[in-house]
Amino acid sequence: MTRPRADLLSARGVRAPEGPLAQRPFLRETVRYGAAPAALVLLLTTALAGAGLALPWALGRTLDLLLGDDRAAAGPWLALCAALTGATILLGALDGLVTAVANARTTAWIRDRVLRHVLATGPRAALPEGDLVARLVGNAAQAGPVPATLAATLAAVITPVGGLVALALTDGWSALALLAGMPVLAVLLKVFVRASGDAGAAYLRAQGEIAGRLTEAVEGARTIAAANAAERDAARILAPLPELSRQGYRMWRVTGRSTAQAAALLPLLQLTVLAVAGLRLADGALSVGGMLAAWRYAVLATGTGALVGQLNALVRGRAATDRLAEALAPPAMTYGTRQLPDGSGALEFRSVSTGPLRQVDLYVPGGAVAAVVGRSGSGKTALAAVAGRLADPDRGTVLVDGVPLPELSRDALRSEVGHAFARPALLGATVGGTIAFGVGEPGPDEVRAAARAACADEFVRRLPLGYDTPCAEAPMSGGEAQRLGLARAFAHCGRLLILDDATSSLDSATELKVSRALLDELTPGTRLIVAHRVTTAARADLVVWLDGGGVRALAPHAELWRLPEYRAVFAQEAA
Amino acid sequence: MKGRLMRLVRPRWRALLRLAAWSALEAGETFLLGYALARALDRGFLAGHTDVGLGWLALAALGVLAGSFGTGRVHLAVAALVEPVRDDLVRRVVRRALRAPDGAAVSRLTHQVEIARDTLAGLVMVSRTFVVTAIGALIGLFSLAPVLLPVVALPLAAGLALFVATLRPLARRQEVFLAADEALAAELGLAVGGLRDITAAGAQDRVGGDVRERIDAEFHASRALARWGVLRTLAAGIGGRLTVVLLLAAAPWLLDHGVTPGAFVGALAYLTQSLIPALQSLMQGLGTSGARLFVVLRRLTADGGVPGEVAADPSGAPGPDEAVRLRDVTFAYGPGAAPVVDHLDLTVPHGGHLAVVGPSGIGKSTLAELMAGVRVPDRGEVLRGCARVLVPQQAYVFTDTVRTNLTYLCPDDPPGDEDLLDCCTAVGARELVDRLGGLDAALSPSELSAGERQLIALARAYAAPAPLVLLDEATCHLDPAAEARAERAFAKRPGTALVVVAHRTGSAGRARQVLVLGGDGVERGTHEELLQQSAFYRELTGLHPSLALGDADGVHAVAGAGLTGDRRHVVPHGPVGQMEAVRDVRDRGALGGE
Repeated sequence: MTRPRADLLSARGVRAPEGPLAQRPFLRETVRYGAAPAALVLLLTTALAGAGLALPWALGRTLDLLLGDDRAAAGPWLALCAALTGATILLGALDGLVTAVANARTTAWIRDRVLRHVLATGPRAALPEGDLVARLVGNAAQAGPVPATLAATLAAVITPVGGLVALALTDGWSALALLAGMPVLAVLLKVFVRASGDAGAAYLRAQGEIAGRLTEAVEGARTIAAANAAERDAARILAPLPELSRQGYRMWRVTGRSTAQAAALLPLLQLTVLAVAGLRLADGALSVGGMLAAWRYAVLATGTGALVGQLNALVRGRAATDRLAEALAPPAMTYGTRQLPDGSGALEFRSVSTGPLRQVDLYVPGGAVAAVVGRSGSGKTALAAVAGRLADPDRGTVLVDGVPLPELSRDALRSEVGHAFARPALLGATVGGTIAFGVGEPGPDEVRAAARAACADEFVRRLPLGYDTPCAEAPMSGGEAQRLGLARAFAHCGRLLILDDATSSLDSATELKVSRALLDELTPGTRLIVAHRVTTAARADLVVWLDGGGVRALAPHAELWRLPEYRAVFAQEAA
Repeated sequence: MKGRLMRLVRPRWRALLRLAAWSALEAGETFLLGYALARALDRGFLAGHTDVGLGWLALAALGVLAGSFGTGRVHLAVAALVEPVRDDLVRRVVRRALRAPDGAAVSRLTHQVEIARDTLAGLVMVSRTFVVTAIGALIGLFSLAPVLLPVVALPLAAGLALFVATLRPLARRQEVFLAADEALAAELGLAVGGLRDITAAGAQDRVGGDVRERIDAEFHASRALARWGVLRTLAAGIGGRLTVVLLLAAAPWLLDHGVTPGAFVGALAYLTQSLIPALQSLMQGLGTSGARLFVVLRRLTADGGVPGEVAADPSGAPGPDEAVRLRDVTFAYGPGAAPVVDHLDLTVPHGGHLAVVGPSGIGKSTLAELMAGVRVPDRGEVLRGCARVLVPQQAYVFTDTVRTNLTYLCPDDPPGDEDLLDCCTAVGARELVDRLGGLDAALSPSELSAGERQLIALARAYAAPAPLVLLDEATCHLDPAAEARAERAFAKRPGTALVVVAHRTGSAGRARQVLVLGGDGVERGTHEELLQQSAFYRELTGLHPSLALGDADGVHAVAGAGLTGDRRHVVPHGPVGQMEAVRDVRDRGALGGE
């Protein structure tokens, strides 16, 4: 009984789907993917609705014959009732199965399709991370049922409309009684929807207060543990709990009141129809079976809950496909087929525009260590990203050893050009797997060597299972994560290695060790190092000084150091 | 599993009684609907007394109104059942978050607790509705004609039995599905969060394949669930719709045994109007939200993580002059892990001042926690001769008055206002407290900078009656001058033993003793001794020009220009540390790393 009533609630905010399918290519694609099972669902639900509409009629006839003098004549009608009931049960079960499997299948397809596109697009996917995950998890689950729901909605219209028509055919006066009551129903529904408006706001406020206090305490967890004051803090955090409880009760009171109103409406309307049918029965215009049928049809005609639910799901599903289509909007990155010629990783920018950078020309000779410096927002990270083709520049070409990056095959590019970041994402199942993650998985010895070079070996060995510790069980500080990210880059080191602020959380001693390893222990090649520290710039062969949307200078640190503006770059970073 | 649910609901007998009492009104509504229809036909419309017929229907309408009044009251009774469960869960979540802090605590509070509350309420509602409807309908059938009862009740029982038999396997499939769904969400989170790194590693296909596996697993789980759902629909059909056919088939016999036409129609009404919808709701509700509730409850009531409680002080005490003594202490984060602290002996005398230095991740914080007794060594013992206070890098400031924040460590015996303000003055927090509006001003952590929070935490530690003070990078967000002032204040406080996990070189320079972790084991001595004797210490502090960096590089020019060059930072804290605040908290909870 609760469920149909809850369906009434969702009457609010239902709008008919608008906008042709043609303007929503992904929606069209989704509907097309799920078309075959949806056709089956359409068939099943239509048959189901037909059987449901035929049943009161058959029931009424059977009853009349049973109550009459010739009971034997009821036999075939009884068989019809049995057949219709059996069909309803079986069709219902089958419809449930087909719909659920079709929805799951379409949802799986959507997730795979969108994720593959997002992976192919790379970091330029443009949507915030959490948002994108929410779309892949939540919106995909809402969009998956669209094809089957579309099919079922057609059938959901049949039942109330058919119920009204059948009622009119059974007894015109009863149908009129129902139609007369409909506007009353609509008005009361509206009142009901308004009443249950914002009952939850105060509840959410109290909940938010507890959450806020809890967040503070979680941040201060070490202090609380050291002070052994958990109970006291719990009491303080839970102080708004009585208010939360009070608001919770209030919400129940409000919903209880409006649910009670709604709970009275439909049965009263149906009883009205029943009373009219009773009068017609007394007049001899209607049989007992006819009265029973009229009542059942009145119930079917007022049972729009299923339809409202389907429409709601459709509106939600359409909005969900729109949001998924946004994730599909940025074009995927394509790769060529070329390999790199022999060389030591000479890096060249030809009139490259990306982010804040405009028409940058740059040449870093193979084997050189180049530091990229500049104020915040001068385009250091954008330069590093296009240098290793994490993204393509808006305009211009980046070449390594004379080959434009887009012409390289993906494996050729990723095995020769590596990255390390300030905040690396630790992928792979274990800590060792994180270091090995990438093209041509290196073996355990190489992993350890890379970890040693990145000064990560020592702390990894202190983890509960050493290199086999699952990443999820080894929460890292910023510095530790950086060292693993460096180790990963080192383990796959090719002719060009790009470090984007990848040592910012290391102490000076560790950073020095890593810098030495970078020069002495790894495959020789070009190093492009985005850095904030003056020592890093000092150790580099060349400094790429970014300023005002371009390369202000390409020269050794010692030469640039004479310029006050160059020194000011580091002054700003230090402050 | 069910026991857990029952434990949560059982103690609330009064709420259950109220629920039953108000439900009786709804049962009356159900009873009246069939009974009044039967009488309206037999004595009214079929007997030519339309007024009697209408009268009975009006009675049914009154029943509807009474029933809907009951529905409203039932909501309140359900609230009395569900809201205390929610309160319980909130308390558990909060206590657990304090015992074993992790980043998911807030989501548990705002999301999972609400799921538990909603699904529990839904379950109570549908099962109650079914019971109420069944009682009303069965009594009605019996009142109309006792022979009707077995014809309806037996198939209903059979359908229910079939449904109950599917309940357990269905719940299991549901759990498998929820687990698959969560695993998929986690995998998607990793993939999307690591887009840049995946692209850089050229691992799109591998990650796509990994996710595809999870997607397939989730699909298979959904399909298995859907197959069991067929049984559920069949059970509902047998218990409900098929009974209508049985009733019709039995009609000739029933009509011959005293069942009136009206009573027969009444029986049909009970079935189609009350029992079948209630049965369908029950099966829908129990089949899906039941398993969901159990999964969420299990997660919420699970004992999480390693408790971070303070161990009881060991029985032995250090020597009379000693504030804390570590005797042969060894500590590792797991049986297979290399030790973080290895056979360490260390003594800090009363009035002593020790600085601990070393590269990041070497275990300085772990050592501080061992000294504070927040962690227990695997071997050896930590002996403390006095009360202690540990001030971590992440200052704990909470929304309340300034005074409550400052007396956090001595709530039972708070110092007077004068003394409290003196403490603030000593560590350099007086200006801040005055600006906030004095001791009774409200304090909002989000409006304080990281450094200001540290000042509050330092004043609080200063006001605490603990002679042993452990500052674990507790001044890292202060400027060097403010840091020096705070440290000197503690060092000068009478009878205070101070241990500083150093963030900058200056802290080591001010200390009487320095402990160096890392390099080749442990080194100790005064600042000057170490500068002379330890190359590692020199490299760490950058205080000796032994590194291969000449003046030509302009490094010294930077330092000379008065800039806070990075080489003076023993342990840097950059944007990483600040932006990953929540993560850092979790780090500490699990591993105590920096």
